[in-house]
Amino acid sequence: MSEMKEYSLPVPVKPPAEIKSLELPVPPGLDEKATKGDEIVLFVGPQHGGSGHMRLIVRVHGDVIREVIPDPGFVHRGVEKLAENKLYVQNIPLVERPAIMDCVNFSLGYVRAIEQALDIEVPERARYIRTMLAEICRIGTHFYDAGILSVFLGHTTGFMWPFALRELTCEALMRVAGARITASYVVPGGVRRDVDNSTLNYIYEAMTYIQRKAKDFERIFVRNPVTIARLKDVAALSKKEAIKYGIVGPFLRACGVEYDVRAVEPYDAYDELTWDIVVADEGDSYSRFLVRVNEIQQSISIINQCIKTLKDMPQGNIVSADVAGKKKAKEGEEKKGLDTVNGAFFRLFGRLTLPAGEYTTLTEAARGTLLYTIVSDGKSNVPYRLRIVTPGWYYLKGFMESLKGCRLADLQAVYGSFGYFPPEADR
Amino acid sequence: MLSYNALLEMFRQNSVGIPLITRKVVLYHTATKVAYIPPVTSLFAKIPILNLIVALLFWKPFFAVLFAPGLVCMLIALLPIIWFERKVTARVQWRYGPLEISRDIGGLIQPMADGMRYFFQEVITHREAHRPYFLQFPLLTFLPVLLPILVIPVGAIYAINTPYSIPAAIALISLIPMIIVAIGWASNSKYAYVGSLREAFMYFSYEIILIVAAMSMVILYGSANAIEIVREQSVVPGVILNPVAALVFFIAIIMATSRFPFEIPEADPEVVFGPFVEYTGIIFGLVMTIAYEKLYLLCLLFSILFLGGWNGPFIPPLGDLSPVLWLFLKTFALMMIFVFFRTFYGRYRLDQALKIGWSTLMGFAVVSLGISLGLGVINIAGWL
Repeated sequence: MSEMKEYSLPVPVKPPAEIKSLELPVPPGLDEKATKGDEIVLFVGPQHGGSGHMRLIVRVHGDVIREVIPDPGFVHRGVEKLAENKLYVQNIPLVERPAIMDCVNFSLGYVRAIEQALDIEVPERARYIRTMLAEICRIGTHFYDAGILSVFLGHTTGFMWPFALRELTCEALMRVAGARITASYVVPGGVRRDVDNSTLNYIYEAMTYIQRKAKDFERIFVRNPVTIARLKDVAALSKKEAIKYGIVGPFLRACGVEYDVRAVEPYDAYDELTWDIVVADEGDSYSRFLVRVNEIQQSISIINQCIKTLKDMPQGNIVSADVAGKKKAKEGEEKKGLDTVNGAFFRLFGRLTLPAGEYTTLTEAARGTLLYTIVSDGKSNVPYRLRIVTPGWYYLKGFMESLKGCRLADLQAVYGSFGYFPPEADR
Repeated sequence: MLSYNALLEMFRQNSVGIPLITRKVVLYHTATKVAYIPPVTSLFAKIPILNLIVALLFWKPFFAVLFAPGLVCMLIALLPIIWFERKVTARVQWRYGPLEISRDIGGLIQPMADGMRYFFQEVITHREAHRPYFLQFPLLTFLPVLLPILVIPVGAIYAINTPYSIPAAIALISLIPMIIVAIGWASNSKYAYVGSLREAFMYFSYEIILIVAAMSMVILYGSANAIEIVREQSVVPGVILNPVAALVFFIAIIMATSRFPFEIPEADPEVVFGPFVEYTGIIFGLVMTIAYEKLYLLCLLFSILFLGGWNGPFIPPLGDLSPVLWLFLKTFALMMIFVFFRTFYGRYRLDQALKIGWSTLMGFAVVSLGISLGLGVINIAGWL
């Protein structure tokens, strides 16, 4: 084989501006500058046991973190762009992909934006089923995050137990929707399938079991002296800072701000149920974790209330009559919804077109406020633009700010206490 | 120069007595006939070179380092303890643990399988490493691991009988962190650097209290000779005489061997095995066992200082191996306790470990020294 030769072509090409911007977020020469001083720069991730799918550029002075620069985007899949080429109903499985454990909350926000645009009223039974599943997903996600926090603190039992308990929520989701994760269960105007009483009984038993086993988990991990020593007073954020950095969800509530979308702008069945907003005052890593541990108890209570209501209700009527395109009911007669969408899925949802405009919904996903904005041009059957702002993206700034002044070993503890999930933030 | 025969005679004079293999075993005995199996050792007694090798193997100093309590005993303890650690952790965590490699015995030979796997994995030396040191330090760890065996006796089996055996053993064991720090330096990577710094800081936090706790027992018994110390404990073990010292020594062992909750230098989510981050293949297998080897040595010391060492009912057929058996059982039971901490503790931070070492534990260590001085003045060991 002859040797390859390089030929230079006299084409006047300048390197594109992106070449330089690709160096971001690491300023050129950061490493050299730090090494000349008394700091070192650690590149944590993306292939690191305690970084997740992201890179954290940590400037360390001695054992104390001076600054953390996040480098997210390693699992960016362009969900927003993909959504512009799919039918409205085809986007439901897509928008679940950022956080597959939290699937029902994620599809709920999107579907509610469609319902808002078309002015669809959801039947009561469907609203309760949605609420129940959203809370099951919340429990699953909180267990997942607790497991990750435990293994970041080196507590392997605290990692295995929540993951084992999460199996029950996966099983419940499978019995209801047919899939352990990414249920794609919520459709505009209702839900995809009805829930029978035996499934409800299973969910009730699973919740009772989780409640009992969660006590064991509390004894071995939550109240463990080592856990408390590692998390207490670590990376504390004041109420003011939390609001300034735009932290959301349980992490905002851990700083003493009583804000929960479910209570402030109730959707589905939340205003018909009794539950408390879990709030803590300290704003440190431990309270961020405790708020979520206590939220599991609240979720179980919500689920049990939903089960009780659902059992008293007659079966059927799970998809709104507005979707079915039935003529308006006569005066004095109630509109009857559909009992199933089997065989009629494309006929019902395939030609869905939203009136021109911008529709925004807020949802309380497991990790915090989730924002969907659908922009429709009023003619096409795909969204003109879909904007998703996930909770992870909201609180990334606060997460980075809270790390300043922590010890290097705290990096993973704070990471776990925020339950940061890169696929969710990167979308 | 020693002649061949003189050398042979020297080995045989000071050889380990195990009646099970050195005595004739009588099969049956009647008025007319006596039938017996000749002793195993006599098979080689007349063959020129082999008899020297066999005599050398049973020569007490050699036997101590190579077999008991040395290399072989260490390996016998190490393989089941790694299996036990994984199995007991799995039981607590609603899992099976190692199983498939040998289903009938619950996956007991899993560590061996892992070792084989390590053996055939590629050993990568990265470009930035100080190549000779990087490859040589893992092998050099056998020096500080086996040297303390020279001064740790088991009953009549010992290499060096010295009045300073306990201080000497601790001094030699404390060479191990040096090797680990050197490993981190030779790796020449940021995580290895952070990890070896952590190792050095952990060394500061436990070493003083370990020495103070051991010395308080030496003061109590009035001797630093392990044989003397075990003889003093023939009635009451040291853990009852000075429980505070035992507690301090116990926690110092946890810190020294990177057991949970002080698994700080190797913390894998934080510094990805710290000093050992760049190692692969069989060399990683070697450096990974350093902590377990250290655990074995310190557990030996703990049983000698606090649990009455090799005291136990004498088993005649085992002869000199009888104390070995008792010491081994005590050591193994201790190791089982140490590896169990993994199931219910997370990991402390470096500054917290330093604080615990220099405040609480240091206080306890001083108290244990006071107790020993008090008991030593009234000469309680002499009464018992």
